[in-house]
Amino acid sequence: MNQRRYMNPYLGGVLLGLVLIVAFWVSGRGLGASGAAKSTLVAGMKTIAPGHVENTAFYKDYMETHTNPLNDWLVYQILGVVVGGFLSGAIAGRLKFKVEKSPKITNKTRLLFAALGGVFFGFGSQLGRGCTSGSALTGMAVLSVSGFLSMAAIFGTAFGLAYFARKLWL
Amino acid sequence: MKARLVLASVIIPLGLIIAAVPENTTKPYKLTAEQLLDEVKSGTQFIGPEEVADMVISKDPSLQLIDVRSAAEYEKFSLPNSINIPLVDILNSEWEGYINQDIKLNVFYSNGTNEANQAWMISRQLGYANNYVLQGGLNYWVETIMNPEAPENGSPNEEILKYNLRKGAGMALGSEASEAAQPVAAPGGAKPPVQKRETKKRVQGGC
Amino acid sequence: MGPLVVYEVISQNTNLLLAFFIGIGFGFVLEANGFSSSRRLAGMFYGYDTTVLKVFFTAAIVGSVGLLFMSLFNWIDLSYIYINPTYLWSTLGGGVIMGAGFILGGYCPGTSFCAASIGKIDALAFIGGMFIGILVFAEGYPLWEGFYNAQFMGAPLLNEMLGASRGMLTLLIILVALGMFWIGEWAEKRFSRDDYKLNQ
Repeated sequence: MNQRRYMNPYLGGVLLGLVLIVAFWVSGRGLGASGAAKSTLVAGMKTIAPGHVENTAFYKDYMETHTNPLNDWLVYQILGVVVGGFLSGAIAGRLKFKVEKSPKITNKTRLLFAALGGVFFGFGSQLGRGCTSGSALTGMAVLSVSGFLSMAAIFGTAFGLAYFARKLWL
Repeated sequence: MKARLVLASVIIPLGLIIAAVPENTTKPYKLTAEQLLDEVKSGTQFIGPEEVADMVISKDPSLQLIDVRSAAEYEKFSLPNSINIPLVDILNSEWEGYINQDIKLNVFYSNGTNEANQAWMISRQLGYANNYVLQGGLNYWVETIMNPEAPENGSPNEEILKYNLRKGAGMALGSEASEAAQPVAAPGGAKPPVQKRETKKRVQGGC
Repeated sequence: MGPLVVYEVISQNTNLLLAFFIGIGFGFVLEANGFSSSRRLAGMFYGYDTTVLKVFFTAAIVGSVGLLFMSLFNWIDLSYIYINPTYLWSTLGGGVIMGAGFILGGYCPGTSFCAASIGKIDALAFIGGMFIGILVFAEGYPLWEGFYNAQFMGAPLLNEMLGASRGMLTLLIILVALGMFWIGEWAEKRFSRDDYKLNQ
């Protein structure tokens, strides 16, 4: 354990809040993540199966507002997240390929459940119009009703299901 | 442990302050001098007398005529259903509800266009929308609507149509002119659509 | 006066460039607080590590206090910022599904990108799953379109619903958040684990 300590969470929270304010001041919008995945997916589908994109309602709606799905605010922001995360990890000596898990489960189990969790999150973020950062955090900062609702739903469900998933983590 | 108390001791006072002060609802000054000049040059603030007359006659409820001349002048002569907000009182909070709104179409007028334009510039700088200026002012109004000059014979149809329109408007508004309107060859005059100023939109966002 | 892009202080392209730098700040702060560790994130739901709660709510209260002060000083026009629309059922339904994904996968989308950047392989699996989830949503969109658009309420603010000012609600949230931090710190002692070192 020669890696550096993490930042104090309250200091981290203040800094994250400041990043959020800057995002609002510059661009009038908060942070997000799942939207970038959606843009990438739509761009990918457009390349692989352009005919399919033209005939499917979801993609069609999306393409109406975005001429080039990759030229999107959130896509650039997520590229920044990857760079920023890498920088912090490099400074603190945390760059390492590994599967993080509870010592009681195998790597395979962990990866399987991580992917499954991703499927749920991907689907839920589209249904709920935003993920933890885009809907819950940003929504709460602007005091929007949907921000509080999604925050309560996400964390409430996770707390409720924690008991059933305890073998994965404890 | 300690960090939490530091955070609390900073954020609670800030929260108290923000809860105590009233919300800032004033609209900031939005246009740079160049932008305002561009708008003035392009003349988008003007609305033609025919259009206004048409709205007055049809008793269009969305029209709000605002006389920016002095109260004495307003007493002497004013357009039907207009209200009087003298230019010097335009920033009076009493009138803010009339000028800062997005339901009605406000038309400022004065004798010429100077005072009305000044009123418009002030309201524009405050970021208010839906304010316009009567083109040519009252002088031009009287000239064109109340006492329209009959076009010469053989004028293009448009001219005659315009004349008839003005004539009709003038009569409806009670001018003395009583000559019958000249017949027009072309059927129906298209009313110029009311320009709706494009307002800034909220940023699109979301995850 | 902000938002800069609305007031055309910066162009659309500059806005995209700045998004990249904002993202760097976002990713850096997430990683520096250990949001790149799924065990740390999941720890919140078992009480052994409540960093997520602290960072998340501190950011939310700093964000809302900051925005109100900026509005007070006329630095930002709050009427032009994006407010998430509320579609009651899909917001709740989506939140429930995301909650399940959170406890199973241990990440949320933002943190998974951040974790992947420092080499967490489980984060890559999560991102892969996320694409599949979005694909499923897109392909089956007609099936849940009705639910997705049901009970649209516009973009209401919570304080409007409660009939309070933004400032009053913010103060209330600050107090609630500080209460939760206190509970969180208590939980970290109560549910501490031998195989997990609280590192902060």
